[in-house]
Amino acid sequence: MHEEWTDKLSDFLDGELTPTEQRAVEAHLRGCAACSAILEDLKRVVERAREAGAASRPPQADLWSGIAARIDDGRGAKAPAGRSPSDRPSVTAFTDRAATAFALRTRRIALTLPQLAAAAALIAAVSGALVWQVVPRSGGAAPSAVAERRAAEPPRAPDAGAEAPDATDRIVPVVMADAQYDAAVADLEKALQHGRGRLDAATIATVEHNLQIIDRAIDQAREALAADPANTYLSGHLVETRRRKLDLLRRAAALTSESD
Amino acid sequence: MTLSGDAAVGRGLENDVALAAAGDASAFERLYRTHVARIYSLTRRMLGTHEADEVTQDIFVRTWQKLGQFRGESAFSTWLHRLAVNVVIERRRTFAINRERMTDDATALDFVAVAPARSDLAVDFEHAIEQLPAGAREILVLHDVEGYKHREIAAMLGIATGTSKRQLHRARMLMRRYLGESAPASGTTRDGD
Repeated sequence: MHEEWTDKLSDFLDGELTPTEQRAVEAHLRGCAACSAILEDLKRVVERAREAGAASRPPQADLWSGIAARIDDGRGAKAPAGRSPSDRPSVTAFTDRAATAFALRTRRIALTLPQLAAAAALIAAVSGALVWQVVPRSGGAAPSAVAERRAAEPPRAPDAGAEAPDATDRIVPVVMADAQYDAAVADLEKALQHGRGRLDAATIATVEHNLQIIDRAIDQAREALAADPANTYLSGHLVETRRRKLDLLRRAAALTSESD
Repeated sequence: MTLSGDAAVGRGLENDVALAAAGDASAFERLYRTHVARIYSLTRRMLGTHEADEVTQDIFVRTWQKLGQFRGESAFSTWLHRLAVNVVIERRRTFAINRERMTDDATALDFVAVAPARSDLAVDFEHAIEQLPAGAREILVLHDVEGYKHREIAAMLGIATGTSKRQLHRARMLMRRYLGESAPASGTTRDGD
């Protein structure tokens, strides 16, 4: 049995062992042809990986047109922090999502009666957790247009909104605090629990499974942030993950209404 | 190649970054053309061919959105690459690909136990990477292909350094087996743990 030695060979190869362990493996390799052969194979795998890393392959199709379209139509709305305050007022991911719902409501999208009922229920559920200020502006764009622009913006880290809000904006969402988020989640969970009987078992299982995954991701992000509070990526990731949970709950709650 | 030529290219890229950050889509397209092969390759290896196009587009749209946050403290290519890795990791988490990340699936490559033809080793290697279990593939790509350290990988993925090391060894052993390097006799070694 070579497992106790073969298990150390990658660390040996990468210089990750302690000097004592390194010497022990070296001593073993001098007397073990099988382990020496495996080590040589691992070296070749690593070499092949490095070669692969140096030889990048472009995509078969030109992806630029799709990127350009997303940039042009606003879905890739440019919003560099600190560079041009008017480009990107401070919003949170959750309010972005709410803006999406608002935009959907104001666009002329055909909805069935149950869907409208679900949308109304969702808006009611979330309204307790979101506070909106509608700022009048003479000759300004319609609120729906602003909401659509908001929806196009990427999620932001909670601390990334240092720039002043654009004076031309119609809607200035207030940052959703943890308590507000928790309240929104609780409302939606309650709605989902209430309508649970109208969903089939497979759907319930899928929703619950995905919620578990998202909850784990939220926990991981929180733990990582606790260790590195200044990490803006982690902040953004936490916001994004929490937004996903809210979004999933909304859609699941909507499903219960659609099943009426 | 001359230093002045390199410097000119470097200045051109710097200019394009600045122009793109200011909203110049043409400059951003030049950045895209310069970097797309590397970003696409990373995405394909981490997520597979079927998702690579879409996620590569997502990465460049995200780059466009975040260019204003690039402070020039590192090379643009380094910043872009790190952003790409973050998008890929987020994608994997979102779609729960990481469900199998730390599962014990040493038999993942059993169905390709016959060593492939040696005439196209690069393609074989890329194909073998795609067959790895998600967790092992993720760490092999980040460590051996992209050159990240275990501590960096552990931080990015939210795992212990030891887990990263174990997954890397497991991935290498599976790759060794697939690539037919001194094909091991059955049962003499353990490919994963």
